[in-house]
Amino acid sequence: MKTIQEVFRDWEAVIGLEVHTELTTLKTKMFCDCPIDFGAPPNTHTCPVCLGLPGALPVPNRAAIESIVLAGLATNCDIEKRSMFYRKTYMYPDMPKNFQTTQGPIAFCMRGGLDLTVSGQGSDERIDVEHAEDGSYTTHIGITRIHMEEDAGKMIHVGGTDGRIAGASYSLVDYNRAGTPLIELVTEPDLRTPEEARRFMQKLRQIFLAIGISDCSMEEGSMRCDGNISLRRRGSTGFGTKTELKNMNSFKALHDGLAYEICRQAEVLEQGGVIYQETRHFEPATKRTIVMRTKETAEDYRLFPEPDLAPYDLSDEFIERVRAKLPELPDAKSARYQDEFGLAAADAETLAGDPAWARFFEDAAAGSGHAVRIANLMINELAGQLKGGDIATCKVAPASLAELADLVDGDAISGKQAKEVLAEMLETGDGPAAIVERRGMKQVSDAGELEAIVEQLIADNPDKVEAYRNGKKGLTGFFVGQAMKATKGQGNPKVISQIVTRYLEG
Amino acid sequence: MMTALDPAKLSVADITSGFAAGEFSAREMVDAAFEVIEQRDKDIHAFLELTPELAYAKATELDEARAKGEPIGPLAAVPSGFKDNMNQVGTHTTCGSAMLESYVSPYDATCVANIIKAGGLPLGKLNMDEFAFGSSTETSYFGRTMNPWDLERVPGGSSGGSAAAVAGGLATITLGSDTGGSIRQPAAFCGVVGLKPTYGVVSRYGVVAFGSSLDQVGPFGKTVRDVASALNALSGRDPLDCTSQECTVDFTANLEEGVRGMKVGIIPSLTFAEGATPEVRQAVEEAARNLEGLGAELVEVDLPHVEASLAAYYVIGPAEAFSNLSRFDSIRYGHRAQGCADLVEQYERSRAEGFSTEARRRIMLGSYLLSADAYNTYYYPAQQVRTLITRDYVEAFKKVDVILLPTSPRTAFKFGEISDPTSMYLSDMFTVSINIAGNGGISLPTGPGVDTGLPTAVQLVGPQFGDDVILRAAAALETCYDIPRVAPMCARGGE
Repeated sequence: MKTIQEVFRDWEAVIGLEVHTELTTLKTKMFCDCPIDFGAPPNTHTCPVCLGLPGALPVPNRAAIESIVLAGLATNCDIEKRSMFYRKTYMYPDMPKNFQTTQGPIAFCMRGGLDLTVSGQGSDERIDVEHAEDGSYTTHIGITRIHMEEDAGKMIHVGGTDGRIAGASYSLVDYNRAGTPLIELVTEPDLRTPEEARRFMQKLRQIFLAIGISDCSMEEGSMRCDGNISLRRRGSTGFGTKTELKNMNSFKALHDGLAYEICRQAEVLEQGGVIYQETRHFEPATKRTIVMRTKETAEDYRLFPEPDLAPYDLSDEFIERVRAKLPELPDAKSARYQDEFGLAAADAETLAGDPAWARFFEDAAAGSGHAVRIANLMINELAGQLKGGDIATCKVAPASLAELADLVDGDAISGKQAKEVLAEMLETGDGPAAIVERRGMKQVSDAGELEAIVEQLIADNPDKVEAYRNGKKGLTGFFVGQAMKATKGQGNPKVISQIVTRYLEG
Repeated sequence: MMTALDPAKLSVADITSGFAAGEFSAREMVDAAFEVIEQRDKDIHAFLELTPELAYAKATELDEARAKGEPIGPLAAVPSGFKDNMNQVGTHTTCGSAMLESYVSPYDATCVANIIKAGGLPLGKLNMDEFAFGSSTETSYFGRTMNPWDLERVPGGSSGGSAAAVAGGLATITLGSDTGGSIRQPAAFCGVVGLKPTYGVVSRYGVVAFGSSLDQVGPFGKTVRDVASALNALSGRDPLDCTSQECTVDFTANLEEGVRGMKVGIIPSLTFAEGATPEVRQAVEEAARNLEGLGAELVEVDLPHVEASLAAYYVIGPAEAFSNLSRFDSIRYGHRAQGCADLVEQYERSRAEGFSTEARRRIMLGSYLLSADAYNTYYYPAQQVRTLITRDYVEAFKKVDVILLPTSPRTAFKFGEISDPTSMYLSDMFTVSINIAGNGGISLPTGPGVDTGLPTAVQLVGPQFGDDVILRAAAALETCYDIPRVAPMCARGGE
């Protein structure tokens, strides 16, 4: 099979995404008062409404409507003042009423879009647009609609081979999730590369996190994504037959699944084959996609307006009230971090993309003269040491991290020492000054003291000095390393490096 | 047992005032009611389930409240019954179907809770056409209900048990649901008063849905005042039904104000359309003359699109029914076929066995009508027709206060007399348009028909949320008829 770069020379991929996001930050379900609580024992958060018992009626959750309007405003959608709920019929035990309450042709949010800047890794997948000097480019991804619907329950099939209902000895259903409000965002087929799809999804996740409507966990399924992919010859404007790709439950899986599917389709087409309209399943282990079901005829969901729910009218006042709740969105925040704190674009984007990290950064950077160092410590040290833990509840306070940045920038300790101090801060919750004091750490920047050490090293290693002077310039590192060792890691690496270079060149 | 205590002869007001005055206890009323039921219901079969524990528990509560001088409620000690599509904790809610034969309600319908809260004594659950599909109560899986006026005849439907219970003197207030005439037509057949309120006046929460946009709960009673008293207890906004509306009207307040100066709409082209029997037409003519005699002005109005009502109804109704009934899949409750190989077979066989012919017919019809191919040919135009009919009524009510119509094209028919579904569907010809438009309508008995001697009735329709107006007009018209409301053969000890 060809690589994606090879495929893209001849083919253009047309990709659209359908993104489902559970509104996990809401307290109650879409049409009843049952709490949303994913850790709860099975079937403990149910009632006649979400169990679809005879006679029960839905009452819309106003907070959920507010969430979807917020999502629409944050993605530049038009908010429809009058939209309706519809019933979508399908019989399956995870859907208690055997229809899903969703929306019809007019959703709460229509006709939106996001500008997407793709830089760095993967930006070279796109070859038909002009790239900036740094390799980045910007493209616009249209959003067709965002509609509201309810989630189904969760099923576990016991026995059988592949976890499916066919062949299972019995199946279990947990209706705790049934009726959880879900928003589905549908993009225009504007994405052209797997990297764009990945970046779009990341951006969307950052926005949804910023507006606080979901915990957006792809691993736990509170944010899920299906892709529609077709290929066409470069230069053509028609659409090929598309396949629908499911089970891409990480950003990497989204990229790799789409990339595989694009290469697969190219191979089929180049061998004179035909692409069938079908749903395919991504297998992360093999990085392949396999057929789930073919769609020879479109399923008939018997969609019709939900007679138990009147058309939903949103007033201008309501929409404006929601608009007033829009927080600063990641793009604006990132721009501000670059302007206000002088952060590099990549660092600014990283911090701005996660509300908890952004809040921590801003708390730490407020009044500190060392925002760049703070950002650097957060991204390069804290992120790794937290190992996925929650920054908001870790033992390092923003003020302590600012203090640590002051120590590094003031040359009181080295970067390497800062790493150790941070580890202890995380462990004990102590401030950096106390740890430095306790460990007797301080950075040796005294040129005289360091010079003596370097001088000794030069004297002890004449062969290496010789080799250096014969062109093995990489040996600088050996002398710096030995000098650091001699100072028990407390030497100022910048000063040591200067001295070593002077001696070797001299 | 106090022989004087005969619920069949007592109105709501008689009972509440007698109870308040200490003439009898609520427990004595329960004793009396179940004694009547024991004597009469073996012939009528109105009840599917009796709930003496619930009735006596409520009676004890009422007796204690009265003894302590606490409030006892506007329907205190009134023997009541509920159509079996209404959930009530501690009862089966079968909808007259094998599908739900063993289904026990885990929660209360708001309408049921409201009647009990107002002091009603819950006697039991009442027979109905399966899932309310029918006009004769013959499609109930649990056997037919007999018309107390003539045991060879149907009580009408689908709320046949609720109508027959009042006509048989078995209960004072019963509740029914009306999707296309299912309260008004059995009320007409059984010679009692039946009200379908405006859509939204009474909560539908807990009432097993047939056609969600058409269904409305309403009361049966011997008199207009009884029905108005029940509506007071039933009406109002329910946070669990977002289609229910705020309502602060006292429906009993203006019942005696009469119809002087009121404009009553008559529609000769509709009333005298083919289908209505001469005695039915005569009943309407007589009612019109009576209203005129009471000081009302008769005004001819036109409802140009109303003839399309039945067609629209038999699209919208089955479509919604198909969807509402799709939850009966045997997975968590309801009839389950045994020995099925897989899920699809379990669905198919459970539903084939659990639903009778008429239910299967409507499900298949609705499934077809909502399919991608038929949606634009049937469902969408039916909704457009619905808008036109609704507008017709709005226009008509700019000229008149109420409209007088027949309730049913004929009086009660014999069991098995109407066997083809299309003819049965015609029973609704004068009632469905009101469900389509969402207005309220009341069926008022007008005495024995000149040809059959069976109860005849007329229907008074009001503007949306004009239920107080039709109750007032009906109360006035009611004074023109001196007729028994409990079927003579059921009146205790003979009359």
